Amino acid sequence: MTRRGPASVPDRIAAAGGLRAGVARRVARETGAPEATVYGVGSFYHLLSEPDTQLRICQGLSCSLAGASEALAAARAAGHRAEGCSCLAACDAAPTGLQERELQPRLDPYAGAWTRHVGPERDPDSQAIDLAGPPSWDCVAFAKAMAAGTDGVLAELERAGLQGRGGAGFPAHVKWRAVAAESREPKFVVLNADEGEPGTFKDREVLLRRPDRVLEGLAIAALTVGARDVYLYLRGAFASALELLSSCAEQAPFEDVSFHLRTGHGAYICGEETALLEALEGRRGMPRLKPPYPTERGLFGDPTLVHNVETIACVPAIVARGGAWFREQGRTEPGTKLFSVSGHVRRPGVYELPLGVSLDELVAAAGGYEGELKAFSPGGASSGFLPAAARSLPLSFGAMADAGSLLGSAGVVVLNDTVDMGRAALAGLRFFEEECCGQCAPCRIGTRWLRERLEQHLAGDAGALDGLGEVAWELREGSICGLGQVAAAPLTSVLKHFPEELEP
Amino acid sequence: MSANTTLTLDGRSVSCDEGETLLDVARRCDVAIPTLCHDPRLSAAGTCRMCLVEIAGWPRLAPACATPAKAGLVVETSSERVLRHRRALLALYAVEHPADEARREDELASLLAAGDLPDLGRSAPLRAGRPANDDPYIRYDAERCILCGQCVRYCDEVVGVAALTLADRGARTTVTTADDLPLAETTCELCGGCVAVCPTGALIERSFAERAAKASVELERTRTTCNYCGVGCQLDLHVDPRGRDGLGEIVRVTPPPPGQTTGDGNLCVKGRFGFEFLHHPDRLTTPLIRDDDGALQPASWDEALARTAQGLRGVAERHGPDALGFVSSSRCTVEENYLVQKLARAVFGTHNVHQCAAT
Repeated sequence: MTRRGPASVPDRIAAAGGLRAGVARRVARETGAPEATVYGVGSFYHLLSEPDTQLRICQGLSCSLAGASEALAAARAAGHRAEGCSCLAACDAAPTGLQERELQPRLDPYAGAWTRHVGPERDPDSQAIDLAGPPSWDCVAFAKAMAAGTDGVLAELERAGLQGRGGAGFPAHVKWRAVAAESREPKFVVLNADEGEPGTFKDREVLLRRPDRVLEGLAIAALTVGARDVYLYLRGAFASALELLSSCAEQAPFEDVSFHLRTGHGAYICGEETALLEALEGRRGMPRLKPPYPTERGLFGDPTLVHNVETIACVPAIVARGGAWFREQGRTEPGTKLFSVSGHVRRPGVYELPLGVSLDELVAAAGGYEGELKAFSPGGASSGFLPAAARSLPLSFGAMADAGSLLGSAGVVVLNDTVDMGRAALAGLRFFEEECCGQCAPCRIGTRWLRERLEQHLAGDAGALDGLGEVAWELREGSICGLGQVAAAPLTSVLKHFPEELEP
Repeated sequence: MSANTTLTLDGRSVSCDEGETLLDVARRCDVAIPTLCHDPRLSAAGTCRMCLVEIAGWPRLAPACATPAKAGLVVETSSERVLRHRRALLALYAVEHPADEARREDELASLLAAGDLPDLGRSAPLRAGRPANDDPYIRYDAERCILCGQCVRYCDEVVGVAALTLADRGARTTVTTADDLPLAETTCELCGGCVAVCPTGALIERSFAERAAKASVELERTRTTCNYCGVGCQLDLHVDPRGRDGLGEIVRVTPPPPGQTTGDGNLCVKGRFGFEFLHHPDRLTTPLIRDDDGALQPASWDEALARTAQGLRGVAERHGPDALGFVSSSRCTVEENYLVQKLARAVFGTHNVHQCAAT
């Protein structure tokens, strides 16, 4: 993984032990990038900009419910240089920490064994990803794709009705067709494994359990759209997945496809596809203006297919079993879906169920509710909260949008009646403020405004939230990327469904 | 090259050329769209969000500065949605922007003053405690900064120096140098272009800012030519008419706006900051001629030129024209250099002529 030039800047800062005095100048000399630019890049990523932090403890909603703030206090009392951090994609092991890029599950005060649950019962005939199944390198799907050719695979994908599993639910075949139709070379395929939406940890399990599905899906994608180089961008906290994927990629039997593994350095926003491309190019992970879309101008300005881990992992089964089979596995929308379930359920974990399953069915698979259901987030912080009354709605992209929420990445966080919804909203607002990239004014100023004003409101300042409507509206209308557009959802959804909880 | 096509701008059918943005078209058609991060010399950033317009059929508002003008687009620059957005955005800017010392040249302050804005209250300063900026010429006030990034892009794209960067992220984002070093310890050439592009006065000439903080005076402007070198950059001298007991005092130098003169809004460190000598007490203000005792005495230009001519002629008569040599200054214009060689060759008859920047 020796890399040269400006694209290697973040990795070189990491190799130098983080952004300490003098590192920017040294990396600038090595790469030819201006030293100020290097400094700007290093300061953007928390795993680079805070080199003295020994332990980071997730302060996300699921971890908070499990005692994250007590865990942080305990770590500090024990003499660790510990800081709070955003979701580490291990909500099933709450409260979670990160030490040297290795996840530390089940921190004090609730230390205990971490069983990484997946479910429900293994049934390869109805599960596209089949998390519990053994990795297989027979590459049946790849061979079938080679035989079917670009048009054959595209037709199958369209028949499958696969929607992007990263959160937007955009039809996958439209992106594939756009990149395949580009006459410019080179083209790239990029795997978005920067999982970071609070409540979401499904991609972690796919990478660790089914690297075969991921690499085969990527190889099929590359073959279909006409790319040779595939970049895998894994979040910095996925060190063990990175190791596993690296060794699998070396042995993977896909000729004509080169896998390039890259690690992130701590920025949720890099899960936004254009911010991810910026990060891959070695810059501050600030989203690009769209249009143009990555299918036209992506990595290094060339046509690029960017997909979430889960989306790509669905591809081998679609090719092997046919698009029609995949479509039939869904209830209200095509296919099965991985649901990360955490919070007040008995068995937090990742569950592959048909799109359109209800919350009650999902939680039944996860061992049942702990306590009385009060609210839930269907898709992490971005989706805000829905009340218990929505428990029987189909969990699908369309139904959640109709309910004024989002399925998003399907990071389902379940809250029982012990939860203070004002505090839950605050956790979401804090997350967006912390993870805002800072480039566009509505989001940079608005996310801070929301957090400050809710804190003031909770402290008894009656007029603190005056103007909330305009701020939320402007975040949605004026922000460049999806982060700003949804940043008010934790608060506006609580005001809509639980107004009594925010009464002074 | 230009494929002339038309789009609809606020109900009007207007032509647009290949390569134009919606902002280009609007400005050409005298349709006002406010901007805070745009400069014609820089790549479009689209981050200040002031220039968002509504395009029929597009789900989201689009930044006019970064949206290519295409045939058939139906663009609204002041629809109800656009105006609501502008008011809400400005109200958000007002939450963080210091309202205490509004400056005339603070473009954001004038937008804030013009709008009927919802009151969102104010947030406490966030970036206080940044390393003190001790640069002698340029002052940076992080709290005034709206992170438009024009300074960073200018330093990189126009000057090719890239001494500045956006650093940190989110609400704490700021503009700084590598390791927060003083400008003089970086690759910065102190051209001050960052000051010129700053829309809020967050980056400002230190001496001017300190003066302005003491007294607000209506300044007069005089256009002149920089005489530090032969390039001929135009300068606007900002003169405090009450300075120096009413003689007038130059307190600031700026370039004319981009696109107006050959300098295209750029200046170097000398032109922008090197004007303090103008009012220095040791500065010569009249020619001086040595008297019989060798002491320098003030003289008129006619006297001084006559004395020079007399001396030169004397040498040529006694020793021949090649006993003379003419050296002109790199501060002269090309026309002045031409005249010097004309003087040497045509008047005195020698080829001994040189210009100090020619070696």
